Parts: sequence; structure tokens; C-alpha cells
Amino acid sequence: MTSMFHRSVLALAAVALLAGTSVVNAQQQDQNRALKKYESGTKEFWTHPPDDWFLGDETEAQKGLAPPSGPPTGASEAELAAMMKKIKLPPGFKIEVYAPGVLAARQMAWGDKGTLFVGSFGLGNVYAIKDNNGKKEVKTILKGLNMPTGLAFKDGALYVIAVDKLIRYDDAEANLDKLGDGKVVYDDMPSYAAHGWKYIAVDKEGWFFLPFGPPFNVGIPPTSVSQIRRVDPKTGNAEIWALGVRNSVGGDVDPRTGKFWFTENARDWVSDDLPSDKLNMINKIGEHFGYPYCHQGDLPDPKFAMGHKCSEFTPPVLNLGAHVAPLGMKFYTGDQFPAEYKNNILIAEHGSWNRHKYQGARIMRVIVGPDGKNAKQEVFASGWIEGDQGYLGRPNDIILAKDGSILVADDWAGAIYRISYSKK
Amino acid sequence: MRRKFTSHAIGAIALLTLGALPVSAADDSAIKEKASVCAGCHGENGISQTENIPSLAGQPDQFIQWQLVFFRAGSRKNDQMQPIAEEITNEDIRNFGAYFSQMTPAKAAHDNDPDLSKKGAQVAVGLRCASCHTDSFAGTKAVARLAGQREEYLVKALHDYKAGARVGGGVAAMADVAYHMSDEEITAVSHYLANFK
Repeated sequence: MTSMFHRSVLALAAVALLAGTSVVNAQQQDQNRALKKYESGTKEFWTHPPDDWFLGDETEAQKGLAPPSGPPTGASEAELAAMMKKIKLPPGFKIEVYAPGVLAARQMAWGDKGTLFVGSFGLGNVYAIKDNNGKKEVKTILKGLNMPTGLAFKDGALYVIAVDKLIRYDDAEANLDKLGDGKVVYDDMPSYAAHGWKYIAVDKEGWFFLPFGPPFNVGIPPTSVSQIRRVDPKTGNAEIWALGVRNSVGGDVDPRTGKFWFTENARDWVSDDLPSDKLNMINKIGEHFGYPYCHQGDLPDPKFAMGHKCSEFTPPVLNLGAHVAPLGMKFYTGDQFPAEYKNNILIAEHGSWNRHKYQGARIMRVIVGPDGKNAKQEVFASGWIEGDQGYLGRPNDIILAKDGSILVADDWAGAIYRISYSKK
Repeated sequence: MRRKFTSHAIGAIALLTLGALPVSAADDSAIKEKASVCAGCHGENGISQTENIPSLAGQPDQFIQWQLVFFRAGSRKNDQMQPIAEEITNEDIRNFGAYFSQMTPAKAAHDNDPDLSKKGAQVAVGLRCASCHTDSFAGTKAVARLAGQREEYLVKALHDYKAGARVGGGVAAMADVAYHMSDEEITAVSHYLANFK
């Protein structure tokens, strides 16, 4: 199977030209910059994205706000124990360490026989966590993959998405020590790292919702990215379900309606408080969510709006806040939490990387009906930020356990937590 | 360039020298003995005298740790480092980070080609190297120190990134930046950084 993405993408990508070092206000400066153009019809664009894809649009006042980096070996068990005491939860809830030593832990998926599979970011590992009479055994079962952030488990097979390859490992739980190379079932995806890491949400028919981020902060995206596709892992067939989506790394299918909801990280370098990250719902196939023309449902891009009005696009279900970085999310379908949590959405916020005062790094609870109207949110779990720019941990995914508790993946501390509820 | 890691003479000297260092997190003899293996290639006091082998002295703690984690995971490939890194524990990695980061970095020698440095400085501005590596090029957190690094090693590292032989950290910034660099730019910026004071 060969990649064919560059055939269909002769659109020009335009991104902002680098700024000088003036200290005029960010928006004014932004508007004074000319547009720079990239020829996205060339193969080179698709193998090597613009070198300024995550830096380059920043103002002088924003310089130095480079991605933070966590402890390479994660948090020690003593540090984790101390951290657990600092996490704030609603009354009756309890957090504990489920498994330490899961370095760079990202999306989680349950095997049918109770194995917890966990992906990772730049490390390239996939882990399997087995419960041996209460003791968690963490095993690295795959190594050297390209950002295997997204996982799913279906019909006995483990699926891993590593940027441009969706790989199936058959009968995975019986072969944890010898998974082999797997079989690539879908690869019509750009190969670069820039917003290329992904998340998998499985729908009721067994198709996978997959996000495709643009290879830059803001620009007119080539036609094969800034979208959500729905892919059949059996046949490799794919449909484009949403357009105008920036960087999405989380989503779930509504158990009530079967509709796909997803989190979305908004553009950078406007300001510390704009624009807001979003929670979206796809009502019907092909909806456009606004990027790069309109952000947070009501903020035309200073340059890329180009005459478009926000009313042309599907508004968010909820604006979650600026630079909170919402990633993995799940509808709560368990029975352990109080009844009012049923079908609420729990969102793991990874937290800011380029805000002067970090926010996010917590778990939010969104209360909303199946129509997506009148959504409201409240903080569910917090305490992972220390000072203005310090992290103890960064939650990035949530999964329900059989007993109705939830597990939380943290790629900063390299750990999985369990949050449970019991009546006092 | 291949060298054995069991250079006992050099190791022993390294051990003696290190005894005087204020290495709080790494002051048990076990980590010193382990670090003596590093000295065979990376030099006494973390300053490499060997072509294409980087100096480690004064590299940021997290940078050292990340590279060891990448070698261990196999996401950074190197025939010499990988088998060594596979043997080391998380605790060793933390101790190595603390150990090398506290050593005094190599001092740049006399710049024998200031014109080339001038060109290199322009390249560094154009590529925004300081955005991550900081204005002093001392690096920070997971980002490497460049100032005073061996010149031919900087050239090698940039060519490794350019060729895709090395991908860097999670967001792959270096591979994206180096891909667009010409050989002349690599030569100039490496000279500039190796001589940066």
C-alpha cells in the first residue's frame, strides 16, 4: 500500500512570514506581516513540514515560551506518592497511583482479557499493563515506533497509530512477548511529525475516527489535513467527516446518539487568553469547524479570516479556555460515580506549553445533553500545576475501568492514576 | 571512530578527579564508577578529546537524561551507546544527568576564523536557534548546550538531523530545521557555536 496523499493536495498553504523583533502589540504586528506561501503540491512539503511549524509566529514578548519538557524517567514512586496528596477532587472521590514507570504514557485501550495497553509520545514505546493479584506489571511490548500516541483494541487485535501508519497486531493479548511487525491496514497519511500524532476513537460499527492536524500553527491547510476522517480498519476505506479542524488529539462517540465529539487545540501566539480551545460535536458528515478562518466560534482570525464570517462555520459545543490543551476525553458510562455524572464528558487537559502562566493540566467535567446545547463545565481533578510554569504531571487521556472507576494517563510523570468514588 | 570503553587508566583518573566535585545527587561511588566508563570516549571531566564524540560537561541535566532514555528506547540509534544505555536504570539516568550537568563546560579556544563565525551568527539568527537553546547557547532543560561543543561534532549532529538519522525530541524541531540547511550554513553555524563565548 502506498501513500497517495500528495496527489490530492495541490492547494497552496500560506503561513505568516516571520516577524522582526518589534514590541508593538501582537495583533497589530501580526497584521503587518505579509503572507508567505508554501507549495504543498511538492513531495518535499509532505516529508518535511515548514521548519517554523511550532515556533515562528511568536512575538518578542512571547519568545522563549518553548515546549516544556518533563522528567525523562518520569516521577519516582516517592514523588508520585507526594503528588497524590496534592490532587484536589470533589468529595467522596479518591486518586491513587495505578501504575508507575509508564514513561510518556498517552492513549489507553483495554484488551478483552483485562490487559491495559498504553501508547507513548516521542519514546516510541507501547506498553501492556497486567494485573498480577493487585500488583501492576508494566511491560514494553513495542519499541521504536514513530510517536505511537493512539491505540484501540478490537476483535482481539491491538491497533496502534504511529503518525502515518495504522498497524494491526492480531491476537495481541496471547502474544505480548512476540507481537511481530503487525500489518499496516491504513497509511494514506502525511509522514511528518508536525501535528501528526493521533488518537483513535472507535464507533459502534467498528470504524475509527482519526484526526489530521495541519503541519503548522496557522495557515490555509492543504486539502488532505485539518480534518477528521472515519476509517474502516477492515478495508482501509475512509470518509472525511469534519473539516476546518486544527490539532485534535481526543474524542469519543456519544453512547446516546452515536455522534462523534472531539477536543481541539486552538492556534497559538495570539495572546495568553485567546483563542479558546474547544469541545466540538459532528452533527452531520462534512461540517466545517472554522480553522483557520474563525476561532472559538466568534473570533475571526486577524489575517486568515479573509472575509469569512464565523457564522459560516459550526460553532463549538463549549469553549474550554485558552491554552488548556484538551486531549483525551470520555463519556462517563459507568455506575460507580454519583448518578449525575452519567453521560457527562470527562476531558484530560494536558496544560499550556506557551502561556506565561500555565493553565489546564487537570480533568474537567462537562455537563451537556445529546444535542450539545447549554453545555457547562467544572473542574473535576486539579493540582498538577505548581507556580506559574511548573508541572507535577500532565493528564492526557482517560479510560473507564470495568468497576466504573476511571484511569488517567500522565505523560509527564510517566504514570497511570485511578480515580474512584465511594459514598462516605 | 571506534574506541573501547574499558580504558582503565583514563577511568581511574576520572574517578580521582570526580571525588572533589559537588555532585549531590550522584555522590555514591556506584555512579562514579559507572561514569568512568563514559570518560573513555567523552573525556575526563566530560570534555571530549575524541573526534565526533560530544563533550557532556555542562549539558543540561534533562538533556543528558533524555538522550539516555532515547538510546535505551532505541529511538536514538548509535551502535556504541545503545548497548550501554540498555543496561542502565532510571536511577542511573537521573544520576548521570546530575553528574555531567554540574561539570564545568569546555571553554572555547581562540577563534581562528572570525569571518566564518560572523556568517554562522547570521545563520543562527535566521534559524532562531536561541529560541530554544537560549541566548547564551548554554541550553536549558531538554535542549542541548551548543556553546563550546566540539566543532566537528556539531557538524555531524546537524548532518545526522538533516539526513533523518536522528530525530530529536518529541516535536522533532531539529530534524525540521536542519533539513533546510545547506552544507555552508552547517559549517558556519557549527564554527560559530563551537567558538561561542
